Amino acid sequence: MDVIQYNFNVEKDDFDRAGEASSNIKKILRQLGIDAAIIRRIAIATYEAEINIVIHSLGGEIDLEVDPGCIKITAKDRGPGIANIDLAMQEGYSTASDKVREMGFGAGMGLPNMKKCSDKFEVKSELGIGTAITMIMFI
Amino acid sequence: MKAGEGVDNKYFHSVVLQEDMCIGCTSCLKVCPTEAIRLRDGKARIIGEKCIDCGECIRICPNHAKNAITDKLSVLQKYKYKIAIPSMVLYGQFAGKTEINAMLSALKNIGFDEIYEANMGTEIITQVTKEKIMKENNIERPLINSSCPAILRLIQIRFPDLLPNVLDIETPIEITARIAKTEAAKKTGLDISEIGVIFISPCTARVTSIRNPLGIEKSYIDAAISMKEIYGILVRNINSAAEENITKSTRESMEWPITGGQSKALGIENYIAVDGINEVIKVLEEIETGRLEGLEFFEGLACVGGCIGGPLTIENPYIAKTKMRSLAQGLPCSHISEEQLADYIKMYETNFIRLTEPIEPRAIMKLDKDISISMKKMEMINEILKYLPGLDCGVCGAPTCRAFAEDIVKGENQKSICIVKTMENFKKKKV
Repeated sequence: MDVIQYNFNVEKDDFDRAGEASSNIKKILRQLGIDAAIIRRIAIATYEAEINIVIHSLGGEIDLEVDPGCIKITAKDRGPGIANIDLAMQEGYSTASDKVREMGFGAGMGLPNMKKCSDKFEVKSELGIGTAITMIMFI
Repeated sequence: MKAGEGVDNKYFHSVVLQEDMCIGCTSCLKVCPTEAIRLRDGKARIIGEKCIDCGECIRICPNHAKNAITDKLSVLQKYKYKIAIPSMVLYGQFAGKTEINAMLSALKNIGFDEIYEANMGTEIITQVTKEKIMKENNIERPLINSSCPAILRLIQIRFPDLLPNVLDIETPIEITARIAKTEAAKKTGLDISEIGVIFISPCTARVTSIRNPLGIEKSYIDAAISMKEIYGILVRNINSAAEENITKSTRESMEWPITGGQSKALGIENYIAVDGINEVIKVLEEIETGRLEGLEFFEGLACVGGCIGGPLTIENPYIAKTKMRSLAQGLPCSHISEEQLADYIKMYETNFIRLTEPIEPRAIMKLDKDISISMKKMEMINEILKYLPGLDCGVCGAPTCRAFAEDIVKGENQKSICIVKTMENFKKKKV
């Protein structure tokens, strides 16, 4: 096999389990022997993506794909979608409710952080349908 | 080979198994935070490479088959001048109103020439961290305490990316040992090899670190006697010895071995103090993924309660804490003069109390050096997992079904089988 694939479900509003997918992905990458600095970047980016699904969507999933040259993370959700991606990519911009912000989330750093951690980054979103984020990190 | 045997110091561990007492239950398998134990031929085996000497297995073993290799009191005979450094945890181990000086006099009476308290080391660490290290901006935040050897070894294995955050300063005991030995050599004119510094230890990981140090080339501590081992003699000696005025402990030093004590002594607000190895793992995960922004100091201690919960202590950690807090009431607050502070910083700058050797990451979790082979192995593990029941019962000898599959793929398990699966197959055949 030249590609390893994993799939993790992420539930809407399940703050208790938020972080499980990124934690599992970290473990897998560590076993594969990926460099610690790359693992850290991926863990940060995946956690941000995971939290976004929990907060903003109706639920979704995170896919991990590893081949000997690169790691691909795809975060897909069903939900409202992002109206203005350029705006969402700006640091500090957030549509999170006050309640969510009080919990320490929704600081508007999610997407910019994910981009910072990835070598390739892409957001596709359709209003009323959902959002798909693809992040690629080279090994 | 059992852990602890052999001449190779690389994987020396203070935690060992007393084979005749092990009945092959799965208690220790389950609590080991690094999955370093397997049952083979009905006995627990410690995988030396993975063990971080946290002592969780000693604590849980219902048959007292897990033990720590420590030195016996007879080790004193090797030295002309004997110095004891009792861990400050000792103060919380005695009944009611026992005075610190009574404890220390009893200890001295056993056969030591001098007692050095570890508060010397705690003062220095606190001052140097506060006045020197925390003022430098080029060091990664949060700073992580270097005082818990089990946590250091955990970081090496599971959080290698956080190694640059570890304070590059020695532990209180090591610092005290360095000062004690240097002073004793001056005072007595003896060669340093004739002076023995003996640590009275509540901690298994510290015992390992004396023989196999992390961050320094060689420890100045010559031997470690388990607190449990020396306790009986101390209790019998207390109040029978003429009481000397030995203690120089302060309120701050008394709280140091209790979770949060180190952070509190630093006088900062944005710290987090965590105890219990599993909680430490959870919080380090958060730090690793950048979720605790702005945090200045992380104090992580493997044992519940801090060092007072060490596997070689007698008293329950919560009771010990209460006793130490009450003893602290009668102690003076720490006071450091400008000259002392300058001295301490000099000790750090001249590397006398500094971690000078790099603490290397240890990638023992990875399946293979070659990533494509690792990937193949992971694929095989996942294939095997499909056929396993996922109960993580431990009867096969591995802590989880996943660990069982990993062992097979790594070639580390040739013999043991999954009983649950075998039983299922057996039932099917019968029908």
